[in-house]
Amino acid sequence: MKVKGFLKDVTGASRVTKARLAAFEQASAQPVRSDPIGDVARQLHPGKLLLRVTDIRDASKTAKTLRFEAADGRRLPLFQAGQYLVLDLDIGGSLVSRPFSISSAPADTCGAHSFVEITTRRSRGNGFVCDYLCSEAKVGDTFMAMVGCGQFYYEPLRDAKHVVALAGGTGITPFASMAREISLGRLDMDLTILYGSVSSDDIILKDQLDASACDRVHVVHVISGDEPSWQGERGFLSAELIRKYSAEDTTYFVCGPQVMYRFVHGELAKLNVPRRRERFEVFGQAKDITAFPGYPQELKDRTFRITVVRGIHEDVIDAKATESVAVALERARIPVETGCRSGECGFCRSKLLSGTVYVCPENDGRRAADKDFGYFHACSAYPTSDLKIRIPIL
Amino acid sequence: MKFYKDHYDVVIIGGALAGLSAALMLADKGKDVLVLERHNLPGGIATSFVRGGIEIEAALHEMMSIGPKDNRLKVGKFFDDMGVDIDWLKVPECYHASLPGLEVTLHPGLETFSREVDAAVPGTYDKVLRLLNLCTTVFDSVNELSVHPMSKPKMLLKHEAFVKTAGYSTQEVLDTFGLPQKALDLLAPYWIYVGTGFRELPFTIYSVLMADYVGYGSYIPHKFSHEMSLKMAERAEAMGVQIEYRQHVDKILVKDGRACGVRTARGDEIRADYVISSAYPNSVYTHMIEPADAVPPAAIKMVNGRRLSLSAFSVILILDRTAEELGIRDYSVFRGETMDTHACYDELKGLGPYRYITCICHNLANPDATPPGTCSYSITTLPRVDGWKTVTMDDYDRVKHEVARQLIDYMSAYLGVNLLDHVLECVIETPMTIAHYTGMWNGCIYGYAHTMDDHIIARLQTAGAEHFIDHLEFSGAHQISGDGMGPAVTNGRKAAKNVLDTMAKEAGK
Repeated sequence: MKVKGFLKDVTGASRVTKARLAAFEQASAQPVRSDPIGDVARQLHPGKLLLRVTDIRDASKTAKTLRFEAADGRRLPLFQAGQYLVLDLDIGGSLVSRPFSISSAPADTCGAHSFVEITTRRSRGNGFVCDYLCSEAKVGDTFMAMVGCGQFYYEPLRDAKHVVALAGGTGITPFASMAREISLGRLDMDLTILYGSVSSDDIILKDQLDASACDRVHVVHVISGDEPSWQGERGFLSAELIRKYSAEDTTYFVCGPQVMYRFVHGELAKLNVPRRRERFEVFGQAKDITAFPGYPQELKDRTFRITVVRGIHEDVIDAKATESVAVALERARIPVETGCRSGECGFCRSKLLSGTVYVCPENDGRRAADKDFGYFHACSAYPTSDLKIRIPIL
Repeated sequence: MKFYKDHYDVVIIGGALAGLSAALMLADKGKDVLVLERHNLPGGIATSFVRGGIEIEAALHEMMSIGPKDNRLKVGKFFDDMGVDIDWLKVPECYHASLPGLEVTLHPGLETFSREVDAAVPGTYDKVLRLLNLCTTVFDSVNELSVHPMSKPKMLLKHEAFVKTAGYSTQEVLDTFGLPQKALDLLAPYWIYVGTGFRELPFTIYSVLMADYVGYGSYIPHKFSHEMSLKMAERAEAMGVQIEYRQHVDKILVKDGRACGVRTARGDEIRADYVISSAYPNSVYTHMIEPADAVPPAAIKMVNGRRLSLSAFSVILILDRTAEELGIRDYSVFRGETMDTHACYDELKGLGPYRYITCICHNLANPDATPPGTCSYSITTLPRVDGWKTVTMDDYDRVKHEVARQLIDYMSAYLGVNLLDHVLECVIETPMTIAHYTGMWNGCIYGYAHTMDDHIIARLQTAGAEHFIDHLEFSGAHQISGDGMGPAVTNGRKAAKNVLDTMAKEAGK
């Protein structure tokens, strides 16, 4: 065969080799260290940061807003309004982490004092982390935190321009962030918040919501309790009420307690909302795992042993059947990375080496191949036998 | 607490396809191997994620070099040999080429493909088939020579086509066939998977690409590329490899000119006889070697003398209609306003608009890819990193949405359906996303560009002289075989082979 001529054809390999060596010879010997694309990735996702509490204020009679700045004064990552941060705490003998929706706006990370805020309320039961933050935390305390997680944010390529937010209790926090970001002209969407509270005293972040109201942000308080002097909407977030505030094309964002989710889900079904127009924030940890279908009731009082493998190291810990593997690890002070606590984000992906777990069916966000090979998300898996598991070394 | 052994034969930085392939091969030879992966699962970009309860492929379009069960190509054979049993699904076509005035679907098989080109551009059958046969001859030579090197005179005798085309660009060889432009346009689309215009792209690389894809077709794993990555990792662990996730390696420790271990971001110092790095030589030689003065100037000149290739930008949509309902007929569509590869390449230097793109509908190769009544549709372009280097954190969200919208609008116009009316989930992947999850230098997934002055044959010839630090090998797209998930496996195996060869040589001393 012939391309250009015998001699030129057969010397091709040595020609290209010389060309390559010549290119190296001509190149600079000065190291080029810059990686600007990696730099932006690291600014957006710096991993765990040491944050300091710089302000605590009341957000209602029972709720508090905590402001955090980076302990080293650096700028915090620009998150999406609606996302959460994951806070690590060492309380009650446990190393725990919990997600909190950020109630401040992304814009607040851009100023001279780059900050994020979370707003939480004293629990009426088992929320020991919320209780700690509301009553014990003080200005100057430091915590490790990961800022900007989760998928609960407005996506202009998916969502309708008009969003109706259905909020209950502290579920207002992601919408408070969105409302403020819109009012500052930084988020191009129209937001109507239907915010259900038992009484007007329970309304959280009222000042921030009032300050954010503008032609694109409307806040409608809906009071379910008996409050004769209340002038506004009453009752629950019913289909009728939702319809009243909807535009022709509306996306519904839902965030609130689990009972509210179930109710609102049913109400939206009455309105024939297409699936793509419904966005639910993740549930959080199941309050009572024994209430889920298929949970082995006969095991609920048992305590099992978990052999935890990290590298070549092994620990053996106790685990209650009704508490997730993540909680068992936290109680045993073994560091475990969790994010959403709802089985979705996969931060706590772990490998089951032996034994069996019950995975909360509403919180099973595993990949198909992971299921085949015994991987589970520790925040949403409950031991049903003694276990041997492998988790990352943190 | 002690998490690591006192010593390993080999520490591998990165648990993606290349690192895991190296681990499998070394474990198969009884070596004690540790893999350190920064993410919390294997695979790098060969992975999947779950959004709104739906699992979504992150990156894989087509896996080359697999071949059918009874006639495996080298990557498929390697998986079989290592006991990595993947449920491969065959991709139905090569691609659908869409250009102004030209809509042609081409299927694998040299004759089939040539016939289909001929149907669109009559009178080209013989020439196209002759070109594809030449590509296949070169491809076969590359495969044989990579296993059995031979002397130059013997090579000329036995691998004449390979030798005689080695010094030429794709354009120079294509020119000798006298094909009309329209036919050349149909033979150009796979260019995107190497990202160098035809006047610069070695014909050797073009041959391998065309012979492999057109001759044998391509495959995808049934449960997304995570199935492939996870099965490799599981198999490696079963063979005794220790894999630790969430471990970012900060430093490669060098003593007396020889790599002797690594230090992780967590602070663990781990000793090993050999280090294999999937991190780019750019990262390694400018940030990771400790002490820094163990890096010779020649290593810096080498990385500075090479051109970083492409990154990726993808919009992945989960749509609330089936592919059929939306009029999506092809698994893979390459669309452009032109197939002038240099014009396409110029466009990729900026931030858009991007008009040379590739679209994948997984459901058309894998009906189970998404829940009934839905489909997945990804639109991908492969920009150079240059344009994206100018984007700051504050611009980032705006830029990525502008680019994503432009791509969606472009394909909506093509399909005659407003895709934005059907979006259940929308995920945008950018060079920054890649940098975040994999740590790859400047978000580059394609290693160094295949060019006439960074030719694969030259890479092979000078590889021995590019070991600037003893007992340090590299694996990944930045190595000899270059980019792509199939070549990643080959690059990983090559790194393992280099380690094994050095071990044997030093044991013999």
